[in-house]
Amino acid sequence: MTIEEEPPLVADKGARPVASDARLTPGVATLAPALLLAACGGGSGESTGPSAPSGSVKVVPAAITPTQASRFLAQSTMGATRTMIDTVISRGFSGWIDDQMAMPRATSHWDWLVANGFSDSSYMNGQAGFDQTMWRQLIVEPDQLRQRVGMALLDILVVGIGGVNLNWRQFAMAAYVDLLLDNAFGNFRTLLDGITTNAAMGSFLTFLGNRKANPRTGAQPDENYARELMQLFTLGLYQLNMDGSVKMSGGAPIETYGADDVSGLARVFTGLSLASGTSTTPDRYRQPLVMNASINETGSASFLGTSTSGGGTAAVKVALDTIFAHPNLPPFLSKQLIQRLVTSNPSPAYITRVATAFADNGSGVRGDLKAVIKAILLDSEARGDAALTSNTAGKLREPVMRLTGWARMFGVTSPSNAWGFGDTSSQSNRLGQAMGRSPSVFNFFRPGYEPPASPISAAGLVAPEFQITNEQSVIGYVNYMQNIIANGAGDAKPDYTSILTKANDSAALVDEVNLVLAAGQLSTATVGAIRTAVDSVSATSTNAAINRVGIAILLTMASTDFLTLR
Amino acid sequence: MDFMHDQSRRAFLKRSAALGVAGVATPFVTSLAGIGEAAAATASDYKALVCVFLYGGNDYANTLPPYDSDGYAAYMAARANIALTRESLAATVLNPTNSLGGREYALAPTMGSMKSLFDAGNAAVILNVGTLVQPTTKAQYLANSVRLPPKLFSHNDQQSYFQASSPEGASSGWGGRIGDLFQSGNGSATLTCINTSGNAIYLTGKTAVQYTVGTNGPIALLNNSSSLYGSQTANATLRALMTGGGGHLFAAEHARVSKRALDTYAQVSGALANAPASDFTLFPSGNGLADQLKIVARMIAVSSQLGAKRQVFFVSIGGFDMHDLLVAQHGPLMGKVADAMKAFYDTTAALGVADKVTSFTASDFGRTLQSNDDGSDHGWGSHHFVVGGAVNGQKTYGIAPAIGNNTNDDVGQGRLLPTLSVDQYAATLANWFGVSAGDMPTVLPNIGNYNRSAWNLGFV
Repeated sequence: MTIEEEPPLVADKGARPVASDARLTPGVATLAPALLLAACGGGSGESTGPSAPSGSVKVVPAAITPTQASRFLAQSTMGATRTMIDTVISRGFSGWIDDQMAMPRATSHWDWLVANGFSDSSYMNGQAGFDQTMWRQLIVEPDQLRQRVGMALLDILVVGIGGVNLNWRQFAMAAYVDLLLDNAFGNFRTLLDGITTNAAMGSFLTFLGNRKANPRTGAQPDENYARELMQLFTLGLYQLNMDGSVKMSGGAPIETYGADDVSGLARVFTGLSLASGTSTTPDRYRQPLVMNASINETGSASFLGTSTSGGGTAAVKVALDTIFAHPNLPPFLSKQLIQRLVTSNPSPAYITRVATAFADNGSGVRGDLKAVIKAILLDSEARGDAALTSNTAGKLREPVMRLTGWARMFGVTSPSNAWGFGDTSSQSNRLGQAMGRSPSVFNFFRPGYEPPASPISAAGLVAPEFQITNEQSVIGYVNYMQNIIANGAGDAKPDYTSILTKANDSAALVDEVNLVLAAGQLSTATVGAIRTAVDSVSATSTNAAINRVGIAILLTMASTDFLTLR
Repeated sequence: MDFMHDQSRRAFLKRSAALGVAGVATPFVTSLAGIGEAAAATASDYKALVCVFLYGGNDYANTLPPYDSDGYAAYMAARANIALTRESLAATVLNPTNSLGGREYALAPTMGSMKSLFDAGNAAVILNVGTLVQPTTKAQYLANSVRLPPKLFSHNDQQSYFQASSPEGASSGWGGRIGDLFQSGNGSATLTCINTSGNAIYLTGKTAVQYTVGTNGPIALLNNSSSLYGSQTANATLRALMTGGGGHLFAAEHARVSKRALDTYAQVSGALANAPASDFTLFPSGNGLADQLKIVARMIAVSSQLGAKRQVFFVSIGGFDMHDLLVAQHGPLMGKVADAMKAFYDTTAALGVADKVTSFTASDFGRTLQSNDDGSDHGWGSHHFVVGGAVNGQKTYGIAPAIGNNTNDDVGQGRLLPTLSVDQYAATLANWFGVSAGDMPTVLPNIGNYNRSAWNLGFV
């Protein structure tokens, strides 16, 4: 049942046999979930075998259990479904990732907005349509790994629609989110180009139309993007080792850059401007920014130990190449991506393994996000069962993903395409979070946030999502879900047909909700308490079936077992 | 309750006659004073400290532009394309009772509310305050010969340094550390450090934990329904699962927050029912900061009922990171700050507790004097406001900095080198609040780097 030390499944680049081996035993998918849960209690240790003490790892062929598949999907999608659990079991973790990575995007946010009429001039000065297209894609699109990684990128490379000072904001923001989704399995260097020439980012971090220094007025180039690109998006404040730890000198952390690097880099990010002056259509917001030579600094610019002169897009390329080559980039981004997908406190070894894949995908390519994502999701710290009994592993589920988890399990649709969840950022009566609505470039939460004066901080751990957790949000969330579970949002309604067939059997009902929604991570005691609550509603009372289902869902989603994803 | 209300009303009318403020005895003020009298009956020694945090780094130069001709000319020369016109400042020129050696300042034209507080002696301006580790001269800065706050000019780190004397990742802030000293004297320790927006390191103590209350008070779980989807058992189970931690540290912490919310709900909402929002009508609408200060005023109004003697509050407003669009956005935003703080002051006056409540502004940092065309960039020192009946107002404190680029008072582009530290600013407030000199280093670890005589700036 327990394995004390588990090696990484991908420690050896050649050792990724999980998928092909798992495919050999598709029959496991036909096991009754209740029986399986009873037998496994949240997963068995059979997926990995005994290992050599170090180096390459021999992985013993093993079947993936439904709970293991569901946990994997909780880390890699916006929410598990029964169908997807079966697919993961049949395809294996790696095979499923390959399938997902090969999947084209069904619809871009931009095209959906156009198709649904939001390019009508009446929408020019608003943001109508943005929340709809975001919720729709997160909930129904089949490219779920892309959606999840895209949202992780949006949590890191932050743009919030409220800070985009353009008309057609829904389109500007759609183009930005499309950029992240389109490149979620691409190369990070390409992504750097994309965000640097994106209109929404340009407006959000105020480098759109940024002008070179003007000796007459004393005006200097805007430093905003130069600073946040380095501090938040790529390098961080302090030099890092590959395991994410800070490099020290004389007892003090070594800084990555100084004020002069910021002002030097700011000179490079001058001149970037909208591709067109036509404001009556949103089209220019999905075209890359262009260089306006008249406001671009062509003198020399020094930063991060490099100098460039002549300005133009050549200088931008030097800047982004320099940042991309910086040794901080792999550990800085790898750690944050692990935090978004798997665990708030990855071990140094886990960070090293992922950062190593970031630095070199095995074929000499740096910044290959496919390799990074595989390294994160196939690592023993993500897949092994040790986390299930740890009291520190895992993460607090992001509020948005609690909602999408429910919506996906119960196949929410919105026939009118209104997707009425809207802006969920109110902490008093919604989720306290909404994708694409970060209040600032610091996102809803910071990767290093420690809930102060808590056992978590006392243990030296971080818990980013706790930054949006307080006496308001914990109640606001439950109240909101109570309403949403019962009523949906407008015509965005769940389909409870399937779960209602289990309504009379509290064991089957709670086990199904536990498996799909909670990755099988409800404790025995929690399952027992929920079953008792379900059974408190007599099966013969009015609306018994739907009330019993609602109780099972809400109690699951309010339980701390669910809120903490291990 | 009726009896008390009548008594309070009589007491108020008597007092307002004595103070000669009968003219403001509108029905609203009457009812508010009734609330205040009820509170004052037991709160013989109550104090509240209210931090108004301006997130993003406030532009000091357009908040408090120089008005004397030389000063204005230097200001205009440094930021021609984002400067306010001199004519527009005439109505908000400050006339402090102290001398500034020829320097005159005006407030942003939208800050008429702050001007009236200042003129009435209920507001003071603190010049060039910022994060420091120890007193620092320009020469020392250039020679890198003294310790400086880490990560100057970085939002999150300087927010944290202002609030906690430590960059991001700090474990406690000075508001919370003040709370540590006083929470045992409060009827409910939970109601010592109160945040109206979210989580801020400022309000976290070593033991004191911040409590978040919404602008309409605490939220009722399931609208106080006793059942969930038709079952009382399910409702009880819901509470048990929300507050049951299991063994995981994250689960336990989430449960702790939920338990605090559920445990204090009845007490706080019950008390607030005696200070209904409908009585607090001085606050402007469409002003999120005013909404937050309104719930602070309501909490203060019922502080005696909650057994609170000392409370530290945190309210905040964002949007100050104006790299762009500064002219269009800064004035209206500072107008909201001024209007909200004036309404808050007036409300505490009507409650009869104006001299027991001090509010003060704080921000990540100041900004550059020089423009970046249509905005300003991250800076360091800034000017701040302190408001309250106990404030020694209509004065400025500190030294008016030279105006320009690379003067002795700035480190380039008009980024002010602070001449007063946040530690001194905080120590002055803490001293008023009742923190002893002996406890001051516990609250402000770097205060020992300053002469004891400079711990109290004297503005309150």
